[in-house]
Amino acid sequence: MATRKEPSPVSTVAMASTSGTLDSPVKQIQIEGLVVLKIIKHYQEEGQGSEVVQGVLLGLVVEDRLEITNCFPFPQHTEDDADFDEVQYQMEMMRSLRHVNIDHLHVGWYQSTFYGSFVSRALLDSQFSYQHAIEESVVLIYDPIKTAQGSLSLKAYRLTPKLMEICKEKDFTPEGLKKANIGFENMFEEVPIIIKNSHLISALLFDLEEKSTVHDKHELLNLSSSNHLEKSLQLLMDRVDDMSQDIVKYNTYSRNLSKQQQQKHQYVQRRQQENVQRQTRGEAALPEEDITKMFKPPQPPPRMDTLLIAGQVNNYCQNVKEFTSQNLGKLFMAEALQGHN
Amino acid sequence: MSRFFATGSDSESEESTSADELITKAPGGNFKQSLLLSDDEEDTKRVVRSAKDKRFEELTNLIKTIRNAMKIRDMSKCLEEFEQLCRAFLKSKTIVDKEGVPSFYIRLLADLEEYLNQLWEDKEGKKKMNKNNAKALSTLRQKIRKYNRDYETEIAAYKENPQESADEEEEKEPGDSGSSSDSDEEGSDDGVSAKAFLKKKPEATSEASKFLKPAKGSGDESSSSDEDDEDWGSDSVDSDSESSDEGGEGVSASLAVAFLKKAEKSGKEHVGKKKKTKKKDRPEEEAEEEGGEEGEGGWEKVKGGAPMEKPKMFAKGTEINVPVVVKKLNEILQARGKKGTDRAAQIELLHALAAITVENNLGEGISVKIKFNIIASLYDYNPNLAAFMKPDMWKKCLDCIDELLNILFDNDNIFIGENIAEDSENLITSDQPYRVRGCILTLVERMDEEFTKIMQNTDPHSQEYVDNLKDEGRVCGIIDRLLDYMETKGSTEEVCRIYLRRIMHTYYKFDYKAHRRSLGLQGETKSEQDQEESEGEDSAVIMDRLCKFIYAKDRTDRIRTCAILSHIYHHALHSRWYQARDLMLMSHLQDNIQHADPPVQILYNRTMVQLGICAFRQGMIKDAHNALLDIQSSGRAKELLGQGLLMRNMQERNAEQEKIEKRRQVPFHMHINLELLECVYLVSAMLLEIPYMAAHEFDARRRMISKQFHHQLRVGERQPLLGPPESMREHVVAASKAMKMGDWRTCHSFIINEKMNSKVWDLFPETTRVREMLVRKIQEESLRTYLFTYSSVYDSISMQTLSEMFELEIPTVHSIISKMIINEELMASLDQPTQTVVMHRTEPTSLQNMALQLAEKLGNLVENNERVFDLKQGVYGGYFNRDQKGGYQQKQNYQRGGFQSKRGTSSGNYQKDGYQGKQGGYQRGYQGGYHQRDHQGGGGGYQGGGGYQGGGGYQGGGGYQGGGGYQGGGGYQGGGGGYHQRDHQGGGYQGGGGGGYHQGGYQRDHQKDHQGGGGGGRGGGGGYQGGGYQGGYRGGYRNQNQSNY
Repeated sequence: MATRKEPSPVSTVAMASTSGTLDSPVKQIQIEGLVVLKIIKHYQEEGQGSEVVQGVLLGLVVEDRLEITNCFPFPQHTEDDADFDEVQYQMEMMRSLRHVNIDHLHVGWYQSTFYGSFVSRALLDSQFSYQHAIEESVVLIYDPIKTAQGSLSLKAYRLTPKLMEICKEKDFTPEGLKKANIGFENMFEEVPIIIKNSHLISALLFDLEEKSTVHDKHELLNLSSSNHLEKSLQLLMDRVDDMSQDIVKYNTYSRNLSKQQQQKHQYVQRRQQENVQRQTRGEAALPEEDITKMFKPPQPPPRMDTLLIAGQVNNYCQNVKEFTSQNLGKLFMAEALQGHN
Repeated sequence: MSRFFATGSDSESEESTSADELITKAPGGNFKQSLLLSDDEEDTKRVVRSAKDKRFEELTNLIKTIRNAMKIRDMSKCLEEFEQLCRAFLKSKTIVDKEGVPSFYIRLLADLEEYLNQLWEDKEGKKKMNKNNAKALSTLRQKIRKYNRDYETEIAAYKENPQESADEEEEKEPGDSGSSSDSDEEGSDDGVSAKAFLKKKPEATSEASKFLKPAKGSGDESSSSDEDDEDWGSDSVDSDSESSDEGGEGVSASLAVAFLKKAEKSGKEHVGKKKKTKKKDRPEEEAEEEGGEEGEGGWEKVKGGAPMEKPKMFAKGTEINVPVVVKKLNEILQARGKKGTDRAAQIELLHALAAITVENNLGEGISVKIKFNIIASLYDYNPNLAAFMKPDMWKKCLDCIDELLNILFDNDNIFIGENIAEDSENLITSDQPYRVRGCILTLVERMDEEFTKIMQNTDPHSQEYVDNLKDEGRVCGIIDRLLDYMETKGSTEEVCRIYLRRIMHTYYKFDYKAHRRSLGLQGETKSEQDQEESEGEDSAVIMDRLCKFIYAKDRTDRIRTCAILSHIYHHALHSRWYQARDLMLMSHLQDNIQHADPPVQILYNRTMVQLGICAFRQGMIKDAHNALLDIQSSGRAKELLGQGLLMRNMQERNAEQEKIEKRRQVPFHMHINLELLECVYLVSAMLLEIPYMAAHEFDARRRMISKQFHHQLRVGERQPLLGPPESMREHVVAASKAMKMGDWRTCHSFIINEKMNSKVWDLFPETTRVREMLVRKIQEESLRTYLFTYSSVYDSISMQTLSEMFELEIPTVHSIISKMIINEELMASLDQPTQTVVMHRTEPTSLQNMALQLAEKLGNLVENNERVFDLKQGVYGGYFNRDQKGGYQQKQNYQRGGFQSKRGTSSGNYQKDGYQGKQGGYQRGYQGGYHQRDHQGGGGGYQGGGGYQGGGGYQGGGGYQGGGGYQGGGGYQGGGGGYHQRDHQGGGYQGGGGGGYHQGGYQRDHQKDHQGGGGGGRGGGGGYQGGGYQGGYRGGYRNQNQSNY
């Protein structure tokens, strides 16, 4: 629990300020410093490597602002306690917190991420159920690696109403997604975060900053990049592979579909011709058969996964871009320094 | 025609000797008449109603059989016969329609039903019945019930008045059983019998002359009834014939006259004949009766009456001469292939006959003929083609063939041949050359096949097998003798055939004499036997002579193919790698072997494997690997080599197929050691794969050289706990792991140690040499692996150190490193004065590698995406048309080109083939340019080995002509000889061509390949390791694998 891992007060500024006009009931999220610390601590203690830690956010909604005032972690799942009842645990936890007069309103959940990989089916499903039950729910994504590099990374996401619609209908066919006009860009909306500390804490922080040495801060100036990039690339590559596979699948599907369409068309034409002939001969037309029964359309591959993969890829790319641009800056800076000496 | 009539009268046996020799007695013929009698009322009309008679005879015979079966309660037989009867009855429908249902038929139906019902009721008896019978009983009962429904009225009528019908029946019976009697009466004017004989005769003669399989089916109509009679009549014939006598005399007065005349005599004579073949004791009376007869009748009697005295086949007074013997011979042969014939006895008879012939000095011609027949009968002894002969029978057969050959060698004036007609045989006069029908080659071939079958069916680990195998020498001896004989007398075709036999007995044997001689040890072997042995011709010389004759003279493709394959095998077995390989390539067998029949394919597989092992011994690891790849990768080596059946589901093959497959198996002593084979393959794969893996650690689309090897590695990795290696595979896996680290000492100790020696390496004839080669290879490949793996750690490394580390001489190290640098596998340069390797560090970092991989993957992704788009847009209205695609690919090539120039071409060798082949000249041009700029130690120019990059497109593009000069690479590749420098004009990459050893057909093949690949710039390396050879080598074979096996 090195203290250097604490978020520097500089980063209290909101990380994201995308899409200013959100049509959701929550326009802003205000996080108590305590919550941030608790989340960080949770990961430090329980998560390592690519393992993911999760927990519940508590708070309340004030106008269009969601205030997150407290949180508690989910215990790590192990093989042994398969009969562990999560819901039970949550309820009890909340009840206990209520006894000590803490906000007990469930406003979402948080999750750690590994090199920015969090866009997954699991996240989508659980966020959907949250948002379905409690409209204001958000998911906080905490990136411990970036944080370790010196800049706290905490982001709040919500599903867009469009995606909510689709999830509600469970229609993940290509047509469904097309109709909904949803792309990987507008699956999630990011909600700006403000971290709020009490004045007392702010004062303490200033005090601490005064005292901290350069050494404590130079994490930010670390020049090594390849490791991080390699990992990101690796992950990115895996996703791209998945994507390729999905595309191939889709390709075969659409080929099959068009082939069938053609057959169907031919069949109908033949029918018509026959009927015309029959008419000239004065016979009764052939009965109409159910064409759809004869030509069962091939099962369309679900596109949701592809969409998620695309979202994930996008996410990785953003990460890499961000990382590289920052690193480039650092490198130039280092060069300049080198020149001076 | 007269002949047949003569036959008819033959049974009357009056004037015997003068009758033509070719008369074959048709004992069954007599039965023809039985049906005539069956409706004796119509006696006079007989001739006219022959069709009806024939049918009815058939029916009566069947009925009789059924009755016999009923008597002995053999239900299954009953059922079988009944079914036959129904069929026969159906056949005679037209006649029945005309004549009405014959009463005897109805009678049988009624009786049978009654009988069955009786049996059915008899619970006790039923219990005692065996399963088959019980089953047959119930089926038959149901059947007959159903069947009888159609004839209810008739049966009812019969039941009402059984007496009448019974009378009829009784009248019939004498006719039935005393059938032979009327052959006398009817004699020569009997149209029906004549007809029957007509039918029978040709078959009989052909049978006799062919000595092949008994042509059972053909004679059925008449003879089967005969057989049945014999079979089933064993206990009832007597009574039958007796009752017939009674019947003849007592009941049917009208017949009486006829019967009285000769019925008894001929009846017995007939039975006697039956006995002759069946060796059954008969009442003496017959003997008495026959006593009066002379000539053949006489010896018939003796033989029949006293089986103990068989050797005396001819009556005492008879003058034994050739025609008599021939006649006798034919007579014996008559019985051939019939159900009841005792084959052993028949052989005895023939032997006896042979003895008589010799005794009486009847000349060689006839004894040759008899010998032929004896051998044929020996072969016939086993009715089933699938079953194998008993070894002792087979040995007898060997003796006979030996004797036969003796005679043939002693007598120059005997002509034998398959196509000498029976008529034109000349057995008598010794003035003219003898002419005998028969083919000794066929007999020997059959003998050889039987030998194989015996070997297949003997447990290979038993003493018996060894004993049997000892006879192989005799077989070879016979084949050799026949070979000598054929060389003087036979036609080229026959000579080819016998040569092939000889080859097949030679090709798989390692010639230790020659081996020893070549080692110069001959003088040391003192023992006389050895001296003697080593005097014989080298098997190599023999093989060469025989095979070349076949190549020149043979006109059937199969023999030539087998000869070539055997020749290659033999070469390979004796480590004459280049001869073997050239022959294989020149023969173009790889292209069309898939059309051959399975045994030839098995031979081909064996040859390929042997070739691979040979290559391994010679240190041609790559060739060894390529040759073995197909057999090993299928995982069915055992099956492909005909050395055992794989366990498979019964659905995939039924018993029949299994039998066939079993017959294809190679006898144990010809097996190729499968463990050795696998070990050779795995070690080759290891030597190729480990450096390759080290070199391409970061490649995205890394290809495996050997899937099987990877599989073994994975299996090794999956082990939770790794003990010391036990099996051969584990050894190789452990060695591979050591090699991966560049630790050649450990690798060496895993590959060559006590265990592996005893399991594998000691099996090679030149053990030490192979081991030395292996150590050497391990050292070299470990060095390469080490350099690949750890070059990034070094700035420079002294060759001295390397040479010490790997215990290789400095020049060797130098050459290996140079080769790697030339092939752009290692980014380094040599510093001559200090003898160090200076690394250039141009290897892409892992991040760069990763980025390249990603780029490639994205390329794929985009391509796939475009395809989706194409589909949407329809093929015509292309949004991305071809040009754009090209443009994209070029972009990709840019990345690749750059990358490759650093990575070296050996990667190109393996993995770029297909991919780059698709792309046009532009890419190459581009790459070339890139190389030039990069100036990698004359990069482009050096690339002969890779065979691809320095390609035509680039040179045509001008600007860098210098490259061509060095394109050889031959020297480095160990190919030797000049590189085939071709005109590099324009876009096409025609290069290729290899070292000096490509000759004849191979050369052509190779060139063709490259030109075919032409503009596309098919990969394929220069020299020997590249495309053409591999392609040809494998392509054909793989097809075969899939399609046929």
